[in-house]
Amino acid sequence: MLAPDMVDLSPGARAAFVAIWLLGQSALVLTAGRRADAAFGFRMFSESTTMTITLSREVRAPTGEGTVLVPVEDGRWVARDRDGLPHRFAWNDRVLDPVVGTLGLTMHAAYGGAAQLERLQAALDDVATHVPEDADTHALVADVVLQKNGREPQNLRLTSAPRTLPSGR
Amino acid sequence: MKKAMGFLRDQGATHVLGVVRVGLGVLLFWEGLEDAQELMAHGYFGDHFHWPYLPEAWVPSRSVYVAILALQLLAAALVTVGHLARPALFFAGSSLVYLLACDRLHYHHHVYALACYAFLLAFSPCERSLAITSDGQDDGAIGPLWAIRLAQLQVSIVYLASGGSKLFDADWRDGLVLLDRLVRYGDQAVAKGVPQRVVAFFQHAGTASALAKLTIATELFLAVGLWLPRTRVAALFIGVWFHLAIEVTSKVGYFSWLTILVYALFATHDVRARTFFFDPSHPRGALSARAVRALDWLGRFQVKAWEPDELARAHHVVVVRRDGTRATGLRALAMVARCTPLLFPFWGPLALAASFTKGGDASAHS
Repeated sequence: MLAPDMVDLSPGARAAFVAIWLLGQSALVLTAGRRADAAFGFRMFSESTTMTITLSREVRAPTGEGTVLVPVEDGRWVARDRDGLPHRFAWNDRVLDPVVGTLGLTMHAAYGGAAQLERLQAALDDVATHVPEDADTHALVADVVLQKNGREPQNLRLTSAPRTLPSGR
Repeated sequence: MKKAMGFLRDQGATHVLGVVRVGLGVLLFWEGLEDAQELMAHGYFGDHFHWPYLPEAWVPSRSVYVAILALQLLAAALVTVGHLARPALFFAGSSLVYLLACDRLHYHHHVYALACYAFLLAFSPCERSLAITSDGQDDGAIGPLWAIRLAQLQVSIVYLASGGSKLFDADWRDGLVLLDRLVRYGDQAVAKGVPQRVVAFFQHAGTASALAKLTIATELFLAVGLWLPRTRVAALFIGVWFHLAIEVTSKVGYFSWLTILVYALFATHDVRARTFFFDPSHPRGALSARAVRALDWLGRFQVKAWEPDELARAHHVVVVRRDGTRATGLRALAMVARCTPLLFPFWGPLALAASFTKGGDASAHS
């Protein structure tokens, strides 16, 4: 830790500190709109938005042609690895966040819908890269019902970055 | 410009800084405990989905994270007791911002605000009062207040940012944001005992629109009103009730308590500039003196036994204001409420009632 006298500033240093602090805070506040979560910008209660997330997996179609979406029930699924052995996976093994970690229930989108959509996209990408034993899932897909400020609900679909699977899967 | 730069050399009594420091220490400890509980319940955040603003390589390992949490708790304790408080505040504020930057999922306005105020208070002489190592004679301690002025500016920045963003948002101005919240959470309010008719009134579009405009006006008024001597006390009173209302109706962490705590920084930085005289021969006078001593956390009053004279004979207590004028009865009570944090929420109605009283303001200089 610092010695107490290290936080005593000379008048010149005080002026510089004040200027830097005010410029920094002003910049953070004025640029908050450029960040989906408006972090460090003190935009309290910026919206009243709810979101409901339904998770699916994109897997190879049984016909062998293209892919189909398979619903993920209760955030859990079973998939086979390269050797054909089954493994259990769960969304909440990785995602503990109370909003994007909650599937099938309508949640208040804290810090706004854009913030939660951005976080959900990041969560999809994160989970998709942390299930190496899943050799079945081409991508994770989230269908989102977003209702902002009491308006008509919007239906949106987010897809994780495509996964590289063993050939033939 | 000269006047603006003058605040860099501004000096004042440090008693209130000690009070705010103790409060921040408690909140910092609370924050540290919450993080420690999350660590115990869910494990190290880096083992799960997290999303840093910083490069991933800058995110602390599990052992470093545990060490930071332990140091934060230690720093909070040091801040509270006033030993090495300023370096501890510096560390607490800096490390909170660092951890927020390590995972945006953990970003919360109240944590960032706490970090800002802790960091700024580190540059003030806040350890000169209410410190475990002080000799208890800290009433006369004087020190530079420039960092406190900056913390006060930070309060205004928060209100300007919050009120300004709402003002420029059509949904907010029109009341759509508030209306949707009032509609969605109306059932919860009824379940907590709020009458259905009251809830229905607030769920009306016109009411929500008016409330939205009132909220924006309140936040923008507070950003300015806290600085003007003529409006400061009214702004503090409105602000306290504004935050208490938010605390009751919303989940904002400890933001309301934090803001009410830093409101103390707007108190005039002097000590015991008013005198509370009481009649020691009367139980009500002695009881009032004990109450004022117990509630006077900001050190506003000298509490003295009164040798009854013509004026005091008719009263159990007499308050001598900073300007030398005297107040008794309801006016004295309003004066005490104005100066004591726990009674301050009642100052408005007391002052209003006192303004209708004919007596009570002796207006004689002591």
